[in-house]
Amino acid sequence: MAIDRRLLFNIDWGMMAAVLLLLGIGVATILSATYSGRNSGLEVKQVYWILIGLVALLVCVSIDYRRLVDHAPLLYLASVGVLAYVLFLGPRIAGTRRWLAMGPVQLQPSEFVKLAAALFVAKIFAESKKDSLGIRDILGPGAAVGVLAALIAAEPDLGTAFTLVPLFVVGAVLAGLRLKAVLVLLAVGIVVGGLGWEFVLKDYQKSRIYTFLDPSLDPRGAGYQKIQSEIAVGSGGLAGKGYKKGTQAQLGYLPARHTDFIFSVLAEENGFVGVVVVLGLYLFILWRAMDTAQMARDRVGAFLAAGVAAVLAFQVVYNIAMVAGLVPVKGLPLPLMSYGGSSIISSLLAVGLILNVRMRRFAN
Amino acid sequence: MRIYEDLRSLQSRLAVIKTVVVGALALVVVYFWHLQVVRGKYFRELAENNRIRSVPIPAPRGPIFDRNGRVLVENRSSFNVVLTAEPHTNLDDDLGRVGRLIEVDEDQVRERIEGQGPRFKSVVVKADASEEDVAVVESRRLEEPEVGVEVVPLRAYPLATEAAHVLGRVGEITDRQLAAAPFAGIEPGTVVGQAGIELQYNRALMGKDGVRRVIVNSRGVEVAEAQQEPPVPGPPATLTIDVELQRAMDEAMGGRPGGAVALDPQTGEILALTSNTAYDPNLFSSSISPAVWQGLIKDPETPLMNRVIQGQYAPGSSFKVVMALAALDSGVITPNTMFHCPGYLNIYGKTFLCHKQEGHGTLNMIHALAQSCNVYFYNVGVRLEIERISKYANLLGLNAPSGIDLPYEASGLIPSPAWKQRTQKVQWFPGETVSVSIGQGGVTVTAIQMARLAAAIGNGGRLVQPHLIKTLKGSPVEFKAPVDLGLKPSTIAAVKQGMAAVVAPGGTGWRAQLPGIPVAGKTGSAQVVTHARLETDKKSHQYQPHGWFMCFAPIDNPRIAMAVMVEHGTAGGQSAAPIAGQILAHFFGVPPTPVMINPPPTPELPAKRAPAPVPPPRPAE
Repeated sequence: MAIDRRLLFNIDWGMMAAVLLLLGIGVATILSATYSGRNSGLEVKQVYWILIGLVALLVCVSIDYRRLVDHAPLLYLASVGVLAYVLFLGPRIAGTRRWLAMGPVQLQPSEFVKLAAALFVAKIFAESKKDSLGIRDILGPGAAVGVLAALIAAEPDLGTAFTLVPLFVVGAVLAGLRLKAVLVLLAVGIVVGGLGWEFVLKDYQKSRIYTFLDPSLDPRGAGYQKIQSEIAVGSGGLAGKGYKKGTQAQLGYLPARHTDFIFSVLAEENGFVGVVVVLGLYLFILWRAMDTAQMARDRVGAFLAAGVAAVLAFQVVYNIAMVAGLVPVKGLPLPLMSYGGSSIISSLLAVGLILNVRMRRFAN
Repeated sequence: MRIYEDLRSLQSRLAVIKTVVVGALALVVVYFWHLQVVRGKYFRELAENNRIRSVPIPAPRGPIFDRNGRVLVENRSSFNVVLTAEPHTNLDDDLGRVGRLIEVDEDQVRERIEGQGPRFKSVVVKADASEEDVAVVESRRLEEPEVGVEVVPLRAYPLATEAAHVLGRVGEITDRQLAAAPFAGIEPGTVVGQAGIELQYNRALMGKDGVRRVIVNSRGVEVAEAQQEPPVPGPPATLTIDVELQRAMDEAMGGRPGGAVALDPQTGEILALTSNTAYDPNLFSSSISPAVWQGLIKDPETPLMNRVIQGQYAPGSSFKVVMALAALDSGVITPNTMFHCPGYLNIYGKTFLCHKQEGHGTLNMIHALAQSCNVYFYNVGVRLEIERISKYANLLGLNAPSGIDLPYEASGLIPSPAWKQRTQKVQWFPGETVSVSIGQGGVTVTAIQMARLAAAIGNGGRLVQPHLIKTLKGSPVEFKAPVDLGLKPSTIAAVKQGMAAVVAPGGTGWRAQLPGIPVAGKTGSAQVVTHARLETDKKSHQYQPHGWFMCFAPIDNPRIAMAVMVEHGTAGGQSAAPIAGQILAHFFGVPPTPVMINPPPTPELPAKRAPAPVPPPRPAE
């Protein structure tokens, strides 16, 4: 699988630079968040994960995305298999079954299933020859993606499961889902949600939602993370408290500060200025990804790039909104910045898929 | 062609998605602007509150000295082992870890935590820990950062049980105190006075607590100190007590239940005050264990009670001093008025006994006092009548608190027709006046009242306000000047003469005499049960009368006045007078009278048998 050397010229180096910059900021923030505690040294491990991720990215771009999409059904079946394995036979860690133990390393298959799902959604919708789609046309694909989402949600990992929703919606909309159908889906969603609230959710789940709406109801319990993160972000002010000087982060008030709440540390120590810089980099990457979808040489490429962009965009927006206390706390890492092997490798693979589509936009 | 059109519709749909993504990110940025820039100050305060804790530094209370500058109360450094973890979601685990280091009373810790409310700073798991415990905790600081040691000043009473009832004790402020006006503004958990001088002058002795602002992590463990305001120690106080005399008094009392108090008859300054049984106030300085506390409360000898100001006892014959003053001053008798004592008096259809069965014969007021003749004073009482007795008793400071600067003083009781009508809704019987005449029949007094009375006679008829504090915050404390009672000098002189005869050879109080120092006094034996009852069980300690002795010396210009009361001490001349003599001897620096040499010349106990068939009077409750 030799790479045509001319293709390298077409790699989006601008996007790559933004990615590397974010990775670097991520490593520095992990260092600040953990150096004083019992998790010190994690930034070094993160660098190793990044190196592995970059290799994976290289492998990814070397294979024509059309071949990858061709194998999507196989990847889909493999995903179902691995998720089922993890769910029923995997180790139970902190009350969840998300992990696949491979020797000393543990991976979260759901992180990679997202990408398999992006390939799968691209294949299904790209092959659709209709000009516009109705509800009935998306039932099949919806069910297929729904199976993946259900398996991930059962781990339970609601955050990751939910990333499949924007992926699917973007695919369906690009494939020509009619506005009327979108509205019908929205109405169904509201009704189902309402009924679910009334009849499915247990009291403790409802109380969590109440707590989200008013964290002071339970400041030491479920509301704790939200309150502390909000304090961290807000107290950062315009310019931040300085690198390694965030009181919330350094004194241990922020939970999961090197993983899901890494952005909270960044916002506390680097202030609104740091927030704007990092969000600017993310916007740049997402913009280029959607540009890639627009300039893709075929439908498959466009759907793939747009789908992956949708997954990344959702994760970035949700994670940052969560850190700011805008949405309920769900275990969703920030792509390219949060500590974690699965997350880093998966985000770099996602970048790889976008680069893959872009660099082959002129080829036949 | 088909592909081209397809891609064109894709383009417009992609543009929509692009807009959505950019819009979402823009909204997030706006929200961050709102959080960080618009509300930044608010959140910065919250973050500061998160990490800064104010830890009070308790101020040591002011030391207390005696009149000669010797230490009565001081402070020592004590080490508390504290648990600073918060929130205490896993208390069992935390306590278990502490328990592996040192011995801990878990129930007590739990009780303390419950009292502290949801957001407390730290909890003391072991108060006044030993040096070994402190060493163990300090050596494990790194492994167990939540377990720490804090230094607190602890009240120390080097005299232990001596003068315990004067000095009082301290303890954590109680719920009732928190709600009371004198303690307004004091934080829960503060150590305040709980009795004695410590309580009476609590505010003046308290310093101002300092505060340490420390940076804590999310577990509440201190990681650094941000700022410190040092505590301001409480100012010193000086008492009128003389430690040496106090010790002599304690030794003279020899631990017998009862009370003694000596004061300066010119000023009212209390020189020594003893109440037995006593307790060791050091027990209360650190948190007292419930078992010890229960033991003190339930002790039948009531060690927490200050008998000198709270113990209300019948004065017995020492009340004859009041009778003599009243009768002389109102002109009912002169010092030479004679009455005949055949050993009893039949009046109002009853027979009232003298303690001398065969009678004292015919005698005047001076001799009646010296030999404590009951019949003489029955006659005096019948002539005075109860209203006048009551009036003079009140004038002389009975039936009301003396105003000593100690909390919870009792007033004693002088019965009167009005009082009886008010409380029992029955009329006064003339026979009761006869009982009152010898200090029975419902009359009760406190030792401080009797000492004050002795002082008033000694100083020529001025009622002093007894007090204990000499200086506070370095400046002298002023008390009410002695009040002239308006008694005739001849009255005072005659009573002095009678009281001198009491202590002279042949008097009931001869055991209090001193070589070269003229002493005036009066004995008393306060019946606690009827004669008949005492007859049935003569050996039973709790049926024995309380022994009283009140005195002042030197007679002409007295420097000391005193009252001694020995619970169930039998006759005052036997029990209380020798104690007073020993204290006086120390005060004047002379050898005490050898008390055990001679047998008592005048037994003051009630007669063994009634000479008449009429039953003896029953002293009122």
